[in-house]
Amino acid sequence: MIVIKPKKYFEVCVEAELTPELATKSMEEVKKFKVYYGNRVVELGELFEVTKTGDEKKLVLEGDFSRVKWIGARMADGEIIVRGSVGANCGAFMKGGRIVIEGNADDWLGIEMSGGEIIVKGNAANLVGCAYYGDAVGMTAGKILIEGNAGNYIGEKMNGGEIVIKGNAGDFVGTEMRAGVIEIHGSCGFVGGDMRGGEIRIKGKFELLPTFRKTEKGWVGDVNVKGEGIVKSL
Amino acid sequence: MLWIRNGIVIDPKNKIKAEKMDIFVKNGKIVPEGEVRREECRVIDASGKLVVAGGVDMHAHIAGSKINTGRTMRPEEMRVVRNVAGKFRAAVGRVLLTAPAIGYEYAKMGYTTSFEAAQPPIGALHTHEELDAIPMIDKAALPVFGNWHLVFKCIEEKNLEKLKALIAWAIERSKGFGVKVVNPGGVEAWMYGGNVKSLDDQVPGFNVTPREIITMLIKANEELGLPHSVHLHCNNLGVPGNFQTTIESIKLAKGFSNSKRQVLHVTHVQFNAYAGSSWRDAASGAAEIAKVVNSMDNVTIDMGQPIFGHATAMTGDAPFQFTLHKLTGARWSNKDTEVETGAGIVPLVYLPNNPVHALQWAIGLELGLLVDSNKVALTTDYPNGGPFTEYPYVMAMLMSRKMREGELSKVNAYVQKATGLASIDVEKTLYEIINMTRSLPARILGLQNKGHLGIGADADIAIYNLNPLETDTSKDFEKVYKAFKSAEYTIKSGEIISRNGEIVKEVFGRTFWVDARKKVDMEAVMNDIRDYFQYYSVQLGNYGVEERWIKKPERLEVV
Ligand SMILES: [Zn+2]
Repeated sequence: MIVIKPKKYFEVCVEAELTPELATKSMEEVKKFKVYYGNRVVELGELFEVTKTGDEKKLVLEGDFSRVKWIGARMADGEIIVRGSVGANCGAFMKGGRIVIEGNADDWLGIEMSGGEIIVKGNAANLVGCAYYGDAVGMTAGKILIEGNAGNYIGEKMNGGEIVIKGNAGDFVGTEMRAGVIEIHGSCGFVGGDMRGGEIRIKGKFELLPTFRKTEKGWVGDVNVKGEGIVKSL
Repeated sequence: MLWIRNGIVIDPKNKIKAEKMDIFVKNGKIVPEGEVRREECRVIDASGKLVVAGGVDMHAHIAGSKINTGRTMRPEEMRVVRNVAGKFRAAVGRVLLTAPAIGYEYAKMGYTTSFEAAQPPIGALHTHEELDAIPMIDKAALPVFGNWHLVFKCIEEKNLEKLKALIAWAIERSKGFGVKVVNPGGVEAWMYGGNVKSLDDQVPGFNVTPREIITMLIKANEELGLPHSVHLHCNNLGVPGNFQTTIESIKLAKGFSNSKRQVLHVTHVQFNAYAGSSWRDAASGAAEIAKVVNSMDNVTIDMGQPIFGHATAMTGDAPFQFTLHKLTGARWSNKDTEVETGAGIVPLVYLPNNPVHALQWAIGLELGLLVDSNKVALTTDYPNGGPFTEYPYVMAMLMSRKMREGELSKVNAYVQKATGLASIDVEKTLYEIINMTRSLPARILGLQNKGHLGIGADADIAIYNLNPLETDTSKDFEKVYKAFKSAEYTIKSGEIISRNGEIVKEVFGRTFWVDARKKVDMEAVMNDIRDYFQYYSVQLGNYGVEERWIKKPERLEVV
């Protein structure tokens, strides 16, 4: 297990693909790991304090990581615990393993993830589990749990897996969704635009486009795209 | 001063078929040996290497609002980093390249000239700003005329003098090079959600037909004596059965002649060479088109070859783009360019196992093989058919039946029954391929100093690691492909800009534009132009591009 702490307040965002894989490397290698500070490539050790205890494939991020992007990107196994908030793109393209964020998560959480689990104790921003800029398919498998609220465009182009939000969400939930499940325990805005498949369950209030037809399974649509997605109350 | 020694030169314009000779360069031009002092020359040893003129891409989409909208729509294209900023500019893009990447990639491949093939006149300033941002190559842009209300008016009135004046005015204002026509009348019909389906359909709101538009524009173009002919993107593009319309359009050139060049260039013909009545029974109409083109001496075409992989369809043919979007479900952007034209953009992937894509791929090659090498230029209609960086693939394929057999075995078997590709045993020679990529496109465009290595030509030269005297292009297709992918030397206006596929010097080429104002009575059209500006979003005084705004303009005056 290694523990990473920021040495200072970051004036500009840091881009650092920190994964549990780091815990399998020597301290020397970990400190030399290349990260971007703005447009400069620097060594991890220049920006962060690193300590290592044991060989467990686990990363503990202590402090404010809200200006650090791409944490856990592409990770395949192991665990990341963040004792604070994270920046954008956390868990992007992740294949397996677990990320627990004790604070909040910024935009693009778990984009295009194909396995594993992300738990956010606080709130998440926009575009959770969706497709990255220009791509056609979002999250395909795995699970994202957000205990607080989430922003807009949750699960856009989602094609599998599960997103659970304990609080409220914004507009455009499950836009162009093809498969998978989105569960919202609070309320949200517009849901299911151009939805082709999958299921959206909502406990509170929500707004629906007129392009869904009522059936005993719930609201089915979006008929605009001959969709068979289901929107129903939880 | 350069002295290129002992290279094996192929120069179709000057009928040089793989001869060992020396080339001398001074002040950016090719000069006779007597004009240089050997001891002052930088010597390039080209022994056993192929020495040819720099490649000329006569039809690509490299600048303007269309490609820029494509870039905005396709952020995923920008993840491929080709060059990190440093000595040279940052260059990114998978197929849809940024302006610096376009220049660098052409240069690496030994290409030194490229023409933007569709420029809405009102968007000329943007086009020139972007052309100015493309390093390495010489360039120009072809303004579009086929759906402009003012053009329709001249044709309705059968007023040739007015049409000639309008063309001269518009080419000067837009600093353009020639007359491009995209789906004549069809883009205007699209403004009402429709299209035109035959050469004799009436354009909504105007008493004109595509046939009249094409014919009268050819007549005006020929009377003006512009360097380039009318450059036509036919009606019914992308529609099964459209090869008939293409043949009819080609035949409109009958009755016109020009001793220097064709009177009609029909572009990216692959997209207009389909037989059949739907995509379920679509087949190749390439052989029929080839027969007609070969029988006429005043028409040329270019291939529009699809390359398997990513592409972005972007044409002024807005109704076609909508059809494509409905067909593929991919993202779509539509452009309505005031009273002049329109456009559309749709991302695309050509897949070898898709029967339609395989058919398109085979038809492009059939055209390249069956049409006389002096009448068909090599293009992919970048980025519509795919990247120009795969020209070497097309070159190698046209020269090797063995390579085609290998590739044919990897594509959908539908092509076996729907095209004649498998049975074509034509293997173009290296001389023919050099013609199709150099001398011919330069001749088609009317660029006298391009595409050859004769005395007085621009010193745009490519040297490839390929000995034409020892290479069997039929068998050694891998070697041929590799050699053309990265030139050992690319020389632009006498300067070495790329070596072994690496940029060594950034230069900025010229932008050619044609001035035909002396050939017309401008007053014939000025009243109409002033009248039409009530429909424009800009005032007449703010319309157009001044020469001094362009980095390196070069005016070609028609007298
Ligand atoms: Zn084109």
